[in-house]
Amino acid sequence: MILKTLSKEFKESFRNGKAKIAFSIVVILLFTSVWLSMQKYNNANKEYLKATESERHIWDNQGEKNPHSAAHYGTYAFKPKQPLSLIDKGVDKYVGTTIFLEAHYRNEAQFSAAADQTGTSRFGELTPDFILLFLIPLLIILLGYNIFTKEKEQGTLFLLKSSGASINQLTLGKWLSLFIPIFLCTTIVFIIAGILLSNLNDYGTFSWTSLISMWSIYIGFYIVFINIVMLISYVSKRSGLSLVIALSVWIFTCLVTPKIASTLAENKYPYPTRQEFQAMVTKDKKQGLDGHNTWNEEAQLLKEKVLKEYKVDSLHQLPFNFDGYRMQKGEEYQAAIYSKHYNNLKAQYENQNKTYKTLAAISPFLPTRFLSMSIAQTDYATHWHFSDAAEQYRIQTQKFLNDNFAQNSVFGDWKYKADSSTWSALPQFNYTPQSLSTIIDTNKSYLIILGLWVLLSFSTLYLTIKLK
Amino acid sequence: MFKYNFIYEFKRLIRSQWIQVLSILLFAVFSFAVFNGQQKTQKRLEEISSVKEKLKTSEAQMLSVLDSIEQGFQVSVSRWRLPSNPMTIGNKHPRLVEMPPHQWTFISTGQSDMYSHYVKPTVQANDFELSFTEMTSPTQLLFGSFDLTFVIVYLLPLIIIAFGFNILSYERESGALKLLASQPVSLTFWVFQKLVLRFLWLSVIVILTLYLIFSGNGINIFKEMATFFSLIGVICAYMLFWFALAFLVNIFGMNSAKNALVLIGLWILFVLLVPTVINQVGNTLYPMPSRTIMVNKMRSIKANATKKQDEILDNYLRDHPEFAINDSTQNRTFWHRYMASQALIDKALKPVVSNYNKQLRKQQNWLDKLKWLSPSMRVKAALNNTAGTSTTDYENFRNQALAFSEQWRKHFIPFLYNNTPFSSKDYEHIPTYQYRQKAHSNMATIGILFAIALLMFAIGLLASKNLKYKMNLTIS
Repeated sequence: MILKTLSKEFKESFRNGKAKIAFSIVVILLFTSVWLSMQKYNNANKEYLKATESERHIWDNQGEKNPHSAAHYGTYAFKPKQPLSLIDKGVDKYVGTTIFLEAHYRNEAQFSAAADQTGTSRFGELTPDFILLFLIPLLIILLGYNIFTKEKEQGTLFLLKSSGASINQLTLGKWLSLFIPIFLCTTIVFIIAGILLSNLNDYGTFSWTSLISMWSIYIGFYIVFINIVMLISYVSKRSGLSLVIALSVWIFTCLVTPKIASTLAENKYPYPTRQEFQAMVTKDKKQGLDGHNTWNEEAQLLKEKVLKEYKVDSLHQLPFNFDGYRMQKGEEYQAAIYSKHYNNLKAQYENQNKTYKTLAAISPFLPTRFLSMSIAQTDYATHWHFSDAAEQYRIQTQKFLNDNFAQNSVFGDWKYKADSSTWSALPQFNYTPQSLSTIIDTNKSYLIILGLWVLLSFSTLYLTIKLK
Repeated sequence: MFKYNFIYEFKRLIRSQWIQVLSILLFAVFSFAVFNGQQKTQKRLEEISSVKEKLKTSEAQMLSVLDSIEQGFQVSVSRWRLPSNPMTIGNKHPRLVEMPPHQWTFISTGQSDMYSHYVKPTVQANDFELSFTEMTSPTQLLFGSFDLTFVIVYLLPLIIIAFGFNILSYERESGALKLLASQPVSLTFWVFQKLVLRFLWLSVIVILTLYLIFSGNGINIFKEMATFFSLIGVICAYMLFWFALAFLVNIFGMNSAKNALVLIGLWILFVLLVPTVINQVGNTLYPMPSRTIMVNKMRSIKANATKKQDEILDNYLRDHPEFAINDSTQNRTFWHRYMASQALIDKALKPVVSNYNKQLRKQQNWLDKLKWLSPSMRVKAALNNTAGTSTTDYENFRNQALAFSEQWRKHFIPFLYNNTPFSSKDYEHIPTYQYRQKAHSNMATIGILFAIALLMFAIGLLASKNLKYKMNLTIS
């Protein structure tokens, strides 16, 4: 019975011009988007490698210079593209890719792609994730809205029932007829993406496990949608009505809820503006040690402390240059202030996340969206991770430079110049992205919510069919 | 016949609770959207005024210090922060270059969640060091916000589709079509009347709810009637466009489900696919030069400039003999060398930076050429323009800010190179900034949308003379 239903549904879909056209359009778009995405990915990767190399070259060849001048001169950290961004671009477009690392300041990542584009880019982009998240659910609706209603309209449901066919088997057959084409199409795209990625020369951290995890998230999402569409078709009397209801569900879950979620999150837990944030940091900085200002109260205290510690009565008698030492202390103090303010910001973002999680209860789109981009490492959390890593590197760089200053010069000697070979001794900045298990662990709740959606939609479908 | 159609349609709409449901639905959705928009605008206003307040306080402090210096008193300010140094004023006491919202900004978030609404250009900073992007959670940028534009561009057509996809097919499916066909009226004309009536009702509901919500939120529509009417004009033209589409689909379509599918297909095409594809092609045709490569270039130029600071200063003074002649002290400090290098770096980077604007302009021109491929895209742009939150508005602000930054720098540089101390008298003459709103007109959008809709109605009315044959209603 299951097989018969399945083959009948397949034949019907195949003979139905509309279904064929829609299916082909989605498949063509999907492959086009993967191809486009691939081009962009390769390009961005090349630029990244070139920029990193050339920036390092500039740093290494600064020539003789005071270490603190080098600190102000600074260096840049560039964000590498993650392999799975080929499939899900996530928030990549909206975050900066370049962080300037200099003395005294923690800078925000600059140059987001969206800021360099016209307003139309806010409609969305032709990327695989757009098709996987928006168009495939629509395709499911198109293929399945009349899966029961057509039997009702043609009167064949009664015939089927009276012929002793088990409704469960019938349902399962119909379910499979929707699931198999979607499953195949998604799987093929993921396999192609996997093959493309593993054939790249510098594919970095690409792992098939991540790809498979991402694939299973999408399959879970489609299962939920298939269940919902079948449920709607089962309870609706006419195909037209079923279609309208299913589409309303799609609009609500995929378009409206994310916007409501972001609006609520913003209203409830607003971010400061850039200027406000900078003003708060500056205010805190003023209250503490200023590495440059000798007459600063904190600087005086530090001086007394160090003199006492080394049992000497003048800064000239110290075994190191106190200027360099004070600069390093100032740097540490400022780093702590940045850490405090960025942690506040992070806390606000965690709060916003709670709003998203709450609303994930009414939309299976949200957990899928978040899981997909976190596995692809194109989510906001990855951006935080990168900018924290860059900040750690900045702190490390400042220590390297200030230590050099303190150890190789005498107090008051601002004319000191470090040797031109000094700079290449600084280790390179290497960003290691989070591991898949860490990502899964931080996104557990979304995984649970999506799992619940799968379970609940299955059981509701089963119970409705059993009871009605 | 029109009279009967009007009366029965009205009765039917009331009895089927179409009008009631729609009014409540629209009221709820519009209210939420307007509330959100208002909150954003409010926040923006508060931020700007709080920054202004802070600048005023620090200005008052600075002026009193300056006054003390002029009176010959000792002041407890570190040497490099003395306000008699023109560089202190130029860097530590900048003017606020702000882009305040106006009365209608709340209707569209547009690009306002991405860009800053105020900057404080200083003398020392390069143009490309001014950051115009805002600190927003990128997740929020990805999802977008629930504003009036979203409701109008995305949701309103869906409401029209939901209530207009089965006008004719429903009659047939319920068996009433044969009765109707026996009436002395053309079926096409009957569908036309029905859709026009629904359009009128929907327009009345939309205008009334908007009016109520606007007045409830303290928006005085009588203050800027023209904008309100142009807003209403855009919305009505857009609705008429979708009703016209529904009309064509009703006439040429078959059963309800197929009609709904076709209309939804068109919705996806206009709202999701066309803008996405056009944008993609625009980006491919006129790609933005890489920012990372730009950073590299900037670094090399800067590295060179730092190495040759003294030489650069000499060259600079050779190019600007007026500075060298007027100054008797010939005192050269860090700032002299620094500003000369900055000028050089700015000059060298100008073509690189303007390349971005050029490419952005090209992309915008490309979109302008193809804008009518999707009326939704057009309407969204028109609403963003009305709200003053479109890409061009922010570009306009950016250009104004950069021009002011230039003016600001130019004002202080003679002080620096002539080694003239800054006095409180000079402070009265420093440049100030006033944002100039870019004027937009929606008349073309409204006119063309109406024309397209009318054309579609005309095509439907003319091309469907054989509708009765198609519906198998003629007796042969």
